[in-house]
Amino acid sequence: MRLRFLDTGSGSGAFNMGLDEALLESVAAGRSPPLVRLYRWEPAAVTLGYFQSAQAEVDVAAAHRMGVDVLRRVTGGGAVFHAAEITYSIVAPEGHPLAPSDILESYRRICAGLVAGLKFLGVSAAFAPINDIVAAGKKVSGNAQTRKQGCLLQHGTLLLDVDVERMFSVLLVPNEKLKGKLIEDVKARVTGLRALCGREIGYAEAATALKAGCAAAWIEFSKEGGAAPQGVVFEDSAPTKEELERAAILSAEKYGRDSWTFRR
Amino acid sequence: MIVKRDHKVPGGKLLRVEVECGEGKVLALRVDGDFFAHPEELFEAAEAELVGLPVEALADRARSAFSRSGLTLYGVGSDDIAETLKGALDAAQIS
Repeated sequence: MRLRFLDTGSGSGAFNMGLDEALLESVAAGRSPPLVRLYRWEPAAVTLGYFQSAQAEVDVAAAHRMGVDVLRRVTGGGAVFHAAEITYSIVAPEGHPLAPSDILESYRRICAGLVAGLKFLGVSAAFAPINDIVAAGKKVSGNAQTRKQGCLLQHGTLLLDVDVERMFSVLLVPNEKLKGKLIEDVKARVTGLRALCGREIGYAEAATALKAGCAAAWIEFSKEGGAAPQGVVFEDSAPTKEELERAAILSAEKYGRDSWTFRR
Repeated sequence: MIVKRDHKVPGGKLLRVEVECGEGKVLALRVDGDFFAHPEELFEAAEAELVGLPVEALADRARSAFSRSGLTLYGVGSDDIAETLKGALDAAQIS
């Protein structure tokens, strides 16, 4: 299995989401092989799931005050506060070993790479359907997938550290009176690599582990179809000029616009 | 008037429905939440089809609209959506 590999480092939320969509278009048009991208968020951002109500989920004024961007993803799922984390995206044509027609199976296969990456960091973790990865009984990764233009796009996060108070200064809770209890619940249910490993894990260390984990875990799926077993080969790459231009357009005209973010 | 209702699907995701009604009809409707629907556009087409219906027909029509072939839901089911819509209308004593 040969995969294009991009580590695009820090980007704004609108750029990050724009580049994911630009890469989806590239793969869909046959201009790019299937790919894995790693990135992070600067400034911190909240992303909403495709079907979530912005007004119901985010304290937009608080987010503005704190310099936290608010965006809507093209994928479903829940609101995510992106700060101390490493984020990945995967784009593959439907029918690729990582993009079988069964959506839950594709989550399981892709997440097997993350689970293996965690193992390289000494963390025992497991995929928890529909779209989570748990370690020590707590969620350490959330993942979200869509299918468009005959391609799978899945992105997800691996938490490096958790700051629940900061998270809930921008995310709304259904009942303000229960906010304290909810914060305690989330602390009990969500964890990051710092807590799991007992030391700080930086972006670069997590990126190396994820890449190695995906290479190790996805060999299993590269043997399908009677083909000779082959390893997983990552070909280091960067976004092309055209992809960056398309990402800039999507960033300015879609993800950076209120008409998209506040459409629900 | 606008009625709203949240429902956490046991073992699943959170549904948040909002229905605007007037003169016995559905004037606007949104089914929000942290669920997944594939393809997303088909889910939105189902939402759009429910606008204009008599409110008493909404729950049943929602059940069929969100269980159409080609639309796959994760974290919620069409029954959850129908029951939550019905609950929202019942609570407001509309249907």
